Amino acid sequence: MNPILRVEHVTKQFGDYTALDDVSLEVPRGQVYGLLGPNGAGKTTLIRIINRITAPDSGAVWFDDHLLAPEDVARIGYLPEERGLYKGMKVGEQAIYFARLKGLSRREAVSRLKEWFERFGIEEWWNKRVSELSKGMAQKVQFIVTVLHRPELLIFDEPFSGFDPVNANLLKEEMLALRDQGATIIFSTHNMASVEEVCDHITLINRSRNILTGRLEDIRREHGSNVYEVRFAGDSELLQQRLSQATTTIKLTAGVGDSTLRFKLNAESELRGVVGLINDAVDIRSLSEVIPSMNEIFINKVSQQGGVAE
Amino acid sequence: MSKIGLIVAREWNERVRKKSFVVTTLLTPLLMVGMIALVSWLSSRGADSVKFIEVVDRSGFVAAQLENQPDVVFRTTAEGVSPEDAMCNREEDTWGILIIGEDVMTNGAYVELYSFGPSTMEVEQAIRHEIERVVEERKLEANNLAEVRRVLDQMQTTVNVRAYMLDENGARSSVSSVLSYAVSYVFGFLMYMFVLIYGSQVMTGVIEEKNNRVLEVMVSSVRPMELMMGKILGVAAVAVTQFSLWVVLVLGLGSVVLNLILPEDLMEAARMGGVPVEAVGGGADEMAQVLSLISEPTYLATIIGGFLLFFVGGYLLYAAMFAAVGSAVGSATDSNQFQNLVTMPIIVALVVMFGVINNPDGALAMWFSMIPFTSPIVMMARLPYGVPWWEVAVSLVLLYGMFAVMVWMAGKIYRVGILMHGKRVTFRELYKWMKYKY
Repeated sequence: MNPILRVEHVTKQFGDYTALDDVSLEVPRGQVYGLLGPNGAGKTTLIRIINRITAPDSGAVWFDDHLLAPEDVARIGYLPEERGLYKGMKVGEQAIYFARLKGLSRREAVSRLKEWFERFGIEEWWNKRVSELSKGMAQKVQFIVTVLHRPELLIFDEPFSGFDPVNANLLKEEMLALRDQGATIIFSTHNMASVEEVCDHITLINRSRNILTGRLEDIRREHGSNVYEVRFAGDSELLQQRLSQATTTIKLTAGVGDSTLRFKLNAESELRGVVGLINDAVDIRSLSEVIPSMNEIFINKVSQQGGVAE
Repeated sequence: MSKIGLIVAREWNERVRKKSFVVTTLLTPLLMVGMIALVSWLSSRGADSVKFIEVVDRSGFVAAQLENQPDVVFRTTAEGVSPEDAMCNREEDTWGILIIGEDVMTNGAYVELYSFGPSTMEVEQAIRHEIERVVEERKLEANNLAEVRRVLDQMQTTVNVRAYMLDENGARSSVSSVLSYAVSYVFGFLMYMFVLIYGSQVMTGVIEEKNNRVLEVMVSSVRPMELMMGKILGVAAVAVTQFSLWVVLVLGLGSVVLNLILPEDLMEAARMGGVPVEAVGGGADEMAQVLSLISEPTYLATIIGGFLLFFVGGYLLYAAMFAAVGSAVGSATDSNQFQNLVTMPIIVALVVMFGVINNPDGALAMWFSMIPFTSPIVMMARLPYGVPWWEVAVSLVLLYGMFAVMVWMAGKIYRVGILMHGKRVTFRELYKWMKYKY
């Protein structure tokens, strides 16, 4: 299947400042795509270019196999990091307004809104003013407004900021449900835990450049550095002694029952042989490769590239 | 509905439904008409109570000839009664006691008024005039010049200048400088208020949206230019709504009230087209003329139509600047530096307007009614006096042309400004924004 979005060699400057430098990426359909990067890396600028809020100086954005055009914004839903509603307006009226700006008819907007309000159990908010809602309540309304026009591409910029854990979880479930219904989601965050939970693909942007892109699984595996963890019952000193030639011990955790040893394979050793050595020394309960967390990869990559941009 | 249409409709709906809008829209014409009605009613009614004055006349001839005034009634006491007796035996409703000296013919100084309530200039003036009249007549008689009074009466003249303005074909149209002055003043000032109030409403609206972060959400559906124009036009629609309601209300209420309080013959005179009615003398003639002009449709149409055209142009020009300022600054308190720059020309225009009202044809008037930033107010002040149509046309073209340029520039600042937070903006910064490619 063709990717829903292709960004090709996009560069964007503001005066002397380069916000994006030759960034390319492909967003496959029906997946959650993580757009990662420290503050000031250029994520928001990229998202604004995808939303046609601003245009690139050079490069192109392809949406559904054509160059991104003005009418495409009706097929995109965007929840910005900094978001708000008109405080003095009534909730229902306001939601209808935003829906109509996205091209829905009033009637269509009302019937879809009723569905969503029922689903979230917030029907009685319809005639309330936004100023009467709590922050979390307003966020729910904001979410509904973002997805109401059933966009094929959804862009959430730090969606969980400002949500309490209960609502954040609700939001995550709704997000995955939308993906299962066929929507593609670009998910920008620096909360790496949530990236591992929901993202299929990621792109890491730092200092205006795309420094890492690919399937989350592949990336983590690639960045695996021959570190393993074995849980065992038996003499830990014996084990360490047996392994001393082939591996380097990273950490030993001795428990009441089982103990855990984390070790790194030395350059010329093979896992197969090492397993034999362990097996001779102790009873293996489990053995697994330690795949680095996204958090580790993130920090590692960013500092390799010379840290965070000023 | 187009996106701009939706934005305009929302702005209009939200603003028109505000209590403050409803209250000012209804109350202002009521107050205006009410004040005018009250003032003219009071002045036509005169004093509210009649003052009874007991006259102790030592001269022996004045009291008998004093004529009662609308609010002053003279009561003569019997000859030889002393002021003290008059005081003791006064009737209950007596307001004061007037003592006229024996030698009032030669010495006017000896006239005294003792009152039981506060005296007013009007009462004293009425008394003085009456005594002076009686004494003067007595003097004329004493010199066998009774005839002179009649001659003097005949000599008294009142002149009314009826002004007409001629166009190239020599057709005359009735003008009233009093009316022109008043209309210039009122509409020029109204223009100033409208442009300033509604212009800054655009600014506060933009600041509010920016601080709310609503704009971040909006820009993914709407182009910044559409957003800006939607807001500007929406607020303009509110202003036009308010002005139209005021015109309707003032004309409606005004005609009812005028019918109630003005003398019948004056209204008749007005209906006849300002033909002087002999029975109505003095300022009433001017009044009749004004009324006839006001009720003339072409005059009204020129003023109101001109106001709307220049208001919309002037408002649009300033609103675009206010929108740019609103987008660039983070809060209303931050906006002063730029806001002053925007309001400066409006204030200059107002100052010029005061001069123009007295000299609507001068070079000052001519130039400032052409410069787009001042033309709405200054031209409005000139319009009631009559301005050649081509001058109006040139001024309008310049105004709307300037608006187009300003919107283009403001749009470039706006699209950057609305998404820029927490940065203190300088003029250099604004200039840089305008060069960003979008």
